[in-house]
Amino acid sequence: MLPKAALKRSRALRRRETITAYLFLLPSLFFFLAFVIVPMGIALVTSFFNHTMESFEFVGLANYKELFSDPVFLRSLKNTALIVLVAVPTVTAFSLWVASAIYELAAGLRSFFRIIFYLPVVTGTVAVTVVWKWMFNQYYGFFNYGLKSLGLIEKNISWLGDERYAIWCIILILFTTSIGQPIVLYVAALGNVDKSLIEAAEVDGANRRQVFWKIKWPSIMPTTLYILVITTINSFQCFALIQLLTSGGPNNSTSTVMYYIYYQVFRLYRYGYANAMGIILAIIIALFSALQFKLTKSGKAA
Amino acid sequence: MKKFLALLLASLMLFALVACDNQKTTAPQDDANTADADAPADAADSEQAAEPAEGEATEITLWTYPIGAWKDSATVDGFIAKFNELHPEIKVKVEYLDYQSGDDQVTAAIEAGTTPDIIMEGPERLVSNWGAKGKLVDLKDLWTEEALADISATSQAVVDACKWSDGAYYEYPLCMTTHVMAINKELFEAADAMQYIDEESRTWTTENFEKALKALDEHGVENKLIVYCGGQGGDQGHRALAANLYGAKFANPEHTAWTMNSPEGVKGLQQLVDWDKAGLIGHDAGIVASDELQLFANGTVAMSICWNASNEANYASQVTFTPYPVAFPTDQEKPELAGGIWGFGVFNNGDEAKIAAAKKFISFVADDPAQGPESVRATGFFPVRNSFGNVYAGTEDEERMSVYSTFMPYIGDYYNVTPGWAEQRTAWWNMLQKIFSGEDVQSAADTYVQEATVE
Repeated sequence: MLPKAALKRSRALRRRETITAYLFLLPSLFFFLAFVIVPMGIALVTSFFNHTMESFEFVGLANYKELFSDPVFLRSLKNTALIVLVAVPTVTAFSLWVASAIYELAAGLRSFFRIIFYLPVVTGTVAVTVVWKWMFNQYYGFFNYGLKSLGLIEKNISWLGDERYAIWCIILILFTTSIGQPIVLYVAALGNVDKSLIEAAEVDGANRRQVFWKIKWPSIMPTTLYILVITTINSFQCFALIQLLTSGGPNNSTSTVMYYIYYQVFRLYRYGYANAMGIILAIIIALFSALQFKLTKSGKAA
Repeated sequence: MKKFLALLLASLMLFALVACDNQKTTAPQDDANTADADAPADAADSEQAAEPAEGEATEITLWTYPIGAWKDSATVDGFIAKFNELHPEIKVKVEYLDYQSGDDQVTAAIEAGTTPDIIMEGPERLVSNWGAKGKLVDLKDLWTEEALADISATSQAVVDACKWSDGAYYEYPLCMTTHVMAINKELFEAADAMQYIDEESRTWTTENFEKALKALDEHGVENKLIVYCGGQGGDQGHRALAANLYGAKFANPEHTAWTMNSPEGVKGLQQLVDWDKAGLIGHDAGIVASDELQLFANGTVAMSICWNASNEANYASQVTFTPYPVAFPTDQEKPELAGGIWGFGVFNNGDEAKIAAAKKFISFVADDPAQGPESVRATGFFPVRNSFGNVYAGTEDEERMSVYSTFMPYIGDYYNVTPGWAEQRTAWWNMLQKIFSGEDVQSAADTYVQEATVE
């Protein structure tokens, strides 16, 4: 048993460590509170008000009731769900495939591929959309030129102006701008998988597929979870591409919840109604993230 | 202990937040009284606030949308320098907005309490939007009897557009124009389609317009006219096109209701759909007006429906043909062209000294006999003041502007001040997208009117 003085010293030491830890956390905590928690609280409160540029009147759940009878919101929700359901698995699977192919390459070559895939991430969204807009242009765009030259289409297609294609064009652009970070993360994660485990499995006669699914895949599960969560959130929050390329059209076929929130706030000044949408979106994202945690059993893996 | 510390830290942070919030609330006062040593005392503190003490400077901010050369700092700085020769006590800071994000910036500024003192744009924003919402100052003292008589001598519609239903003038106008179409003259000549335009009045009938489209089609012109509907930018073009074809009114004369679901309006919209199906025109929900203008300027499309005097100057260096301005086709006696009015509004920031200074600046740039015409020339449009006469006389722009002045008698009702303007704009291009996708025109137009109508 420790003497009383030693016990006191130990407690003092622990207290000092705890204080230091909290002090280190303080700046992040401050910004988290100021820019996440407080605005969320304000959004929640104002979602019960008819808050516009001119009025601030309590309306209870009226905004929420209106939401679910608003066809544009429902269409936006459907579009958002489509983007998430298509983008998240494809981005994750493609990133894993690319990372698996390049992580064992020579350092120089690996860096080259990482730069190629990461370039759209660090390029400004406006610049990216200008290039894509040019490629999708009905009159002199690259896609129409290429497809016409190959004899695959007879008439030019308005890629961003046709309901059948517009949302897929957005998903394609989102895909190219979303894969950079997951590839870099997967390359790092795969490089960190314990080589002794792989060698042991190979010695025991495991083939490449078995090594991947039994050794590498469980080892990179925390990374996969992180990628799933950030890609899901990014996909749910898809906004800039829509605003710059289609303004939610044609016929609201590319309108997302984020875009519709922007539209309600900055065009119609319906802040309360937009906040109600934001709350619904936050709940959906939280549920999706919880589901992903559960499915990937992250608690144990992490 | 840990819990106690966590609670303490959380309380500290909450306290910090509250403190920050308080600071934010008092910031404007700090700015006026202490941050800028030259700034005058706050209006609430002094009855003399509107007239700063000698030697003190008032700093005001002007936000301007890209209206001709008013988007160029060299031009605007020149105006400010001249203003400062008369009023050295007023400092004018300028920020330049664009139409893509300008409205968002203003909305954010209104909510954050950081609006500029002066804003330059049209009555659809200044009067029926921010003015109607009580954010702007009534400029009735600028609208003297002399100004009223001078401006109404040019157009009573301009006066009406600057005044809201409560009788307050939320805009003091500087210039105006009409929005027209433009054709590629050489292409029309090659297709023998110029015969369908009355070159003296620069007008054409709906019937002749259709003949011209057919002539271009037979000549092998693929893109004759595009009804761009990817957003609201430049929507005055297709509004004027659809309304003029069969003499529809876009809003009622009282400016209380949108009326494009009238039989004439629906007929015009249906005509556009029919021409689209027949391949005589095209529609594109993937482009907006700026894209269409670029397509016209590079010769890809034979006509633009978003043209005006300023655009001709802007695209002069790019076009390799003669852009020939022409009114929108109509089956009526004369077309009704959409007008554009630009001027100044003053945000009510609660500082009388700044408001007074802002009015002095507006009066200088819009009323001064020497500066006023120069301010108008910078916009590339026409003066609202009749007394300014032909501000382009003797300049290199005289010939070009005399062409556009022939359209001024066709200026139509300034319906942009009808309540629900913002809702109408979005509902309009959404409606266009629907009718070109095959939805029944009457029901789409009814839905549009319903969505555009605000209580």
